[in-house]
Amino acid sequence: MKIDLSQFRQVFLQESADHVASMESDLLALRSAQDDTELLNAIFRSAHSIKGGAGSFGMTSLVRFTHSLENLLDRLRASEMQASDEVVDILLRSVDVVRALLIADADVEMPAEALELAEQIEALSNAEPALAQAAGEEAEHPIENEREMKLYVVEFRPDRELFSSGTNPIVLLRNLASLGTVSCCHLHTEELPSLADLDAAKCYLSWTVELASLCEEAELREVFEFAEHLAEISIQCAASPQPVDAPLPAVNLPQQTSTALTTDRAPALPERKPGRRKTDQVGDSGSIRVAIEKVDRLIDLVGELVIAHVMTAQMVEDFEPSCLPKLREAVAAMERNTRELHERVMSVRMLPVGTLFQRHARTIYDIAQATGKQIRLEMSGEDTEIDKSMLELLGDPLIHLIRNAADHGIEAAEVREAAGKPAEGVISLRAFHRSGRIVIEVSDDGAGIDTEKIRNKAIERGLILPTAQLSDEQLRMLIFEPGFSTSETVSDLSGRGVGMDVVKRNVQQLNGSVALDSEKGRGSTVTIELPLTLAILEGLLVRVGDRTLVLPLLSVIETVPLRDEQIVRVAEQGEVVMIREQSVPLLRLSRFLGLAQDMTIAGQTSEEAGNRRLAVIVEAGNRKVGLVVDELLGQQQVVVKSLERNLRKVDGLMGATILGDGCVAPIVDVAGIASMNLFAIQSHALLPAHREGTVLSNTAKRT
Amino acid sequence: MRKVLIVDDSVSMRQMVGYTLRQGGFEVIEAEHGQDAIDKLQMSAVDLIITDLNMPVMDGITLIQNVRKLPEMKSKPILMLTTEGLGTKKEQGKAAGATGWIVKPFDPEKLLQTVAKVLP
Repeated sequence: MKIDLSQFRQVFLQESADHVASMESDLLALRSAQDDTELLNAIFRSAHSIKGGAGSFGMTSLVRFTHSLENLLDRLRASEMQASDEVVDILLRSVDVVRALLIADADVEMPAEALELAEQIEALSNAEPALAQAAGEEAEHPIENEREMKLYVVEFRPDRELFSSGTNPIVLLRNLASLGTVSCCHLHTEELPSLADLDAAKCYLSWTVELASLCEEAELREVFEFAEHLAEISIQCAASPQPVDAPLPAVNLPQQTSTALTTDRAPALPERKPGRRKTDQVGDSGSIRVAIEKVDRLIDLVGELVIAHVMTAQMVEDFEPSCLPKLREAVAAMERNTRELHERVMSVRMLPVGTLFQRHARTIYDIAQATGKQIRLEMSGEDTEIDKSMLELLGDPLIHLIRNAADHGIEAAEVREAAGKPAEGVISLRAFHRSGRIVIEVSDDGAGIDTEKIRNKAIERGLILPTAQLSDEQLRMLIFEPGFSTSETVSDLSGRGVGMDVVKRNVQQLNGSVALDSEKGRGSTVTIELPLTLAILEGLLVRVGDRTLVLPLLSVIETVPLRDEQIVRVAEQGEVVMIREQSVPLLRLSRFLGLAQDMTIAGQTSEEAGNRRLAVIVEAGNRKVGLVVDELLGQQQVVVKSLERNLRKVDGLMGATILGDGCVAPIVDVAGIASMNLFAIQSHALLPAHREGTVLSNTAKRT
Repeated sequence: MRKVLIVDDSVSMRQMVGYTLRQGGFEVIEAEHGQDAIDKLQMSAVDLIITDLNMPVMDGITLIQNVRKLPEMKSKPILMLTTEGLGTKKEQGKAAGATGWIVKPFDPEKLLQTVAKVLP
């Protein structure tokens, strides 16, 4: 029987990735708690588990490296040495090596840096080099010589306490017998006490066995391997092959046990599997681990749904008008179930944001090391759950923000002290829920953003006119414009300040928004707001012309009736509506999406039609826009279908959905619209891209 | 069918040992750490325990000591899953009442042979 364990490789890699991450965060925590044995134990266990599994998949370099690491950790654990900053640094670098080796091919040679690091570790732990040791182990197994039949006399005298180790002497004797032919087995009962004195939990017996076998003495000894400390065992080779009457080699030729003992002397590591390549690596495995309780609840819900369906179907079958209230009830039950099922299924995709935060503890540590700044990371809300795909897409934006905070935000210790601040800067990562959205904040108590500098730079870059009147807030938002940098020195760490525009773009792709708050000398806070999931949203259905559109309800602030006298035309630019003395730019959805040709800007439509119209005020990224619609139709959950996947990207739309009656309704991309230059759109003819909006005809039925 | 309890904090290790034993015709139950194992043993006795030594909550050595205090598990075999180079641990395990050991990384066939070495 050949048992193949390679199917468990993926589980091992995923588990090891978790171990690597927790090793990293534990090591970072260890810096401020050098003697914390619990932390050291946890780190040791992680390294140990990786090593234990790696061997099963032929990952020899990884085994050797984690072996060295384990020795060092063992010494730290035993308090034979201190987890000084230097040691922690080496350990952190080791974590990088382990991570790299996990991703690499199983049979990869240890890279030069890893070898060097291993040497450093070995020097620190005074351990024998793992490489030499491994070689030694392999040398233990000599090539088998030709076998000859020998006669052995085996004496087995167990201690009284043999049973307490769970050892069963019968099993040992049976195993011994399987190595050859027993010609005589003598049981010694001399020490057996009288029944009154007998303790059934003690062993009073011993045995002498004569065995003819092809095996070497060492193989016989191996039978007693586990009992050596609990018994006196003597094995004597009584004689060389005896010419006996009965042909001895009627011996059960080394069967199961002994064959294995001899053929299994291959090096401890199984065969390499050259077929396994980088396809099954840790990162993008596309799989997700889900707690069993979550799955169980889903199955329950599906069960309830099936029951509700059967009931409904039954009622429809035997329908008579008096059934109507019952039918309504059944449909309501189904709706409740569906809604809960939806929530539960979504929660399957949810992962705590903490994993993402943990990764950045290391980023900050590295920056602090490289720049000589003192930076502390504070985290809160790590348990806040977020959709797995969003978690992955958030990685890059977050790293930009954190690097910016550490590199440009936090000042050098002297500068901070001169400004009367503590030498150690604090970067805090917070995650929490706010009105159905997830908020992630990255803030620092550093220098803050100098709006005057931004203004100068923006003028220099031609982003704004020297005469432009912008509020501080508007000035700060300029750093999210492409190609904007405020750092005077270009550093390796956060590069040239490109990235902030990328941050904004990435977050907007996730239907989220970014805001920046900063006070000079006190620090900055970047706030990212995201929907809980990308797949389903609460929508406000509106009618524009003869079409139905969906607005994401979360971005809707209010709806106001639109009267012509409220609309102010800004020369050559477009329209704004005055709401409580605030001017909000207006966008006529019909015109924007090219849905109706007869709609024109205010004043040119009939007064009656104009008065019946509504403005839905939506907000994204601190900008408000009034969307002109003809009618509100209601509110419902809609499943977002990608346009890009089925058609192509259409500016101003984030996707489409299929309504209850089978019609396709476009979903308006509020964040996208808010970031556009509305005046330019309104005062010019439709952009070609927008005209494509007509493709999304409402009448297209679902196939 | 004889029942084996596997105790290891590593999911992949439990799965691999479990798979190997099932292939070998054993019934397998799993526990994440020593305390979990003790809890599982309260519910059903087993014929063999295979346990890792380094685990959170309750380590393998403590588990072995505790198992030996359970009347129905007093003389049942316990195998330690260890990596080589942990000589002292192995000794501690033996002193605590372990029957034998399996070296990680384990070879599946070898594992079944080791089990045969201790199970009647």
